[in-house]
Amino acid sequence: MSKTYKAALKEAMQEAMDKKPYSLIIGQGVTDFKGIFDTIVGFKDKYPNRIIESPLSEDSVAGICIGAALNGAYPINTHIRADFGLLIFNQLINLAAKYKYMFGGLFEIPSMYRMVIGRSWGQGAQHSQSLQSLMAHIPGLVVVMPADPSSIIESYRYAIQKHKGPVVMLEHRLLYELSFDDDKAKLSHPLFGSKLEKEGSDITIIATSVMVLEAKRALNHLEKNGISVELINLHSISHPDKEMICKSVEKTGKMLIVDTSWPEYGVCAEMNRIVNEYNPSVLKAPTKSMGMVSTPCPTAKALEDMYYPDVHDICNTVNKMVNGDDAVIDLPKKESMTDFYKHFKGPF
Amino acid sequence: MINLNTSETYRSLFYQAMRIRLVEEKIIELYPSDLIQSPVHLSIGQEAVAVGICANLNLDDWVFINYRGHAFYLAKGGPIKEFFAELMGKKTGQSKGKAGSMHLASPNQGIIGASAVVSSTISHAVGAALISKIKNEKRIFVTNFGDGALEQGVMHESLNFASLYKVPVLFLCEDNNLAVHSPKSERQSFSLKSLVNSYSIPYYEIDEGYDFLKIKQKSKIVIDSIRSSKRPVFLKINTARYKEHVGPGEDFSSGYRNENEINKWKKLDPLISNKKLYSEFLDKIKKEVDDAVKFGIDAPLPDREDLLSDV
Repeated sequence: MSKTYKAALKEAMQEAMDKKPYSLIIGQGVTDFKGIFDTIVGFKDKYPNRIIESPLSEDSVAGICIGAALNGAYPINTHIRADFGLLIFNQLINLAAKYKYMFGGLFEIPSMYRMVIGRSWGQGAQHSQSLQSLMAHIPGLVVVMPADPSSIIESYRYAIQKHKGPVVMLEHRLLYELSFDDDKAKLSHPLFGSKLEKEGSDITIIATSVMVLEAKRALNHLEKNGISVELINLHSISHPDKEMICKSVEKTGKMLIVDTSWPEYGVCAEMNRIVNEYNPSVLKAPTKSMGMVSTPCPTAKALEDMYYPDVHDICNTVNKMVNGDDAVIDLPKKESMTDFYKHFKGPF
Repeated sequence: MINLNTSETYRSLFYQAMRIRLVEEKIIELYPSDLIQSPVHLSIGQEAVAVGICANLNLDDWVFINYRGHAFYLAKGGPIKEFFAELMGKKTGQSKGKAGSMHLASPNQGIIGASAVVSSTISHAVGAALISKIKNEKRIFVTNFGDGALEQGVMHESLNFASLYKVPVLFLCEDNNLAVHSPKSERQSFSLKSLVNSYSIPYYEIDEGYDFLKIKQKSKIVIDSIRSSKRPVFLKINTARYKEHVGPGEDFSSGYRNENEINKWKKLDPLISNKKLYSEFLDKIKKEVDDAVKFGIDAPLPDREDLLSDV
């Protein structure tokens, strides 16, 4: 049975409200008619005391979540743009991430921060950023980028019911409206693991979030051209399955990282660190990184299309890595992901 | 005027305030030995505030303290032996030595963690109070901060939210007029009372920050009103920081403040003027403090397992 990304989010939120004592959803717009992109529409009527509309006060609201967690609640703090999540960094990094350690285990802050990566339709420099590596850098934070409905159901359930610390869920706006078929591949762990999407022998692609989908499109095309790709959906940015990554690269000898963010000091850099610290000799060729161009995000469509890598760029890079710089295969046309995936028009 | 009140309440408050002062003076005495190898922000001069407020709090009322938190930690009942062990970075400290002076906490006594980032736990009290209200509890939540925190945006955000959602929080400002080395006159352009009132939050002020009895009596009215109305109230208590911002010394020679101003406070300080009670309590408190110091010195060091646990 197929299910949309946002339907899975709604299911996860419903389960949180029904099965977790004193769970609450707090953030700007949680009671409005759009309901965080239709993931909690109607919740206010059902749970009047636990769906809490907040003033435009991200800093204090993040602190209110910490205080609520200390007093036995499970707060879910929403940010319709991950960029707004930057306003909670003092509370997230100085407090929530450190509360357990700094006080020697006297306290725990079970809590969730849902941040939506806004990339979709001319969102520009401050409505589109993928800030996973900033947060995954911090001990005490778990940072997850679910790429499909089953990952959402599994990881949100685990985070809410079992994990005792702060979890950042980076949801991708481009995925919300998409329908996914049942997934045979399984996460190696809901919060501290990754997913082997497909086995292959020529090259390992490690992808995050919406780039998993783009890599899957590339993979179909590459198969037709005789290239066998092993695809890893990284899922947990802070706690990826290192063994899965190293074993895969050991098998294929080649690694391409396709991330939603800038390559410098980010997921691309970290994957290289993991493999090199495991055994640099498993690499039979230089690794490649794909992500956003190292500039702030431009608004103009023409520039935005150059800014983000797409299926064409992935196929082109993989072909060169596997068959050599001069090898020619039939490449898919360059097509922006927003054109391909977008099921909506307008500012959201 | 010296308060010659000898009621049991007065004696008890005096005892607790004096206990805090002797703890702080012991830290000053120990500091050159390097038994404590981390910054200390001493409460000397401000003990009466903590003692007067905590006298009206129940065990399950929570106080969110800050890096100048020795007084509140001790006044609310934080264990003294684990306090010294914590300052000395020992395994049997309250937080296994990972916290030190700046991050004191003792949840069983309702002392919730101290942060070293000014104003960063104010909103925590609001959040805990919000849940308490949902749970229909009768507890109250105190957030304790200095006058420096008044300039932070999160203070205003927290006042707004607390008023909007009507939560049982006491916003307690200890005003010693200094943020590190800067006086309020160089930092604030607003009227605090007007600001607080503009959020429909009642504002009270106590000038006699040295007078634990008066603080207890006046704050009782405030705290009782929060308990019954389940609404926030703001209380500012004017006080004086006798020592430097951080460390065991005095810094009057550095020029940013005048010793005469502190001497005015000291003249009113019962812990200095009431020599009779002071000498009556001295031996008993000294023994307790010395025993706690010995506990800290004898305590084992944390190990690698402690380094890696509690992440």
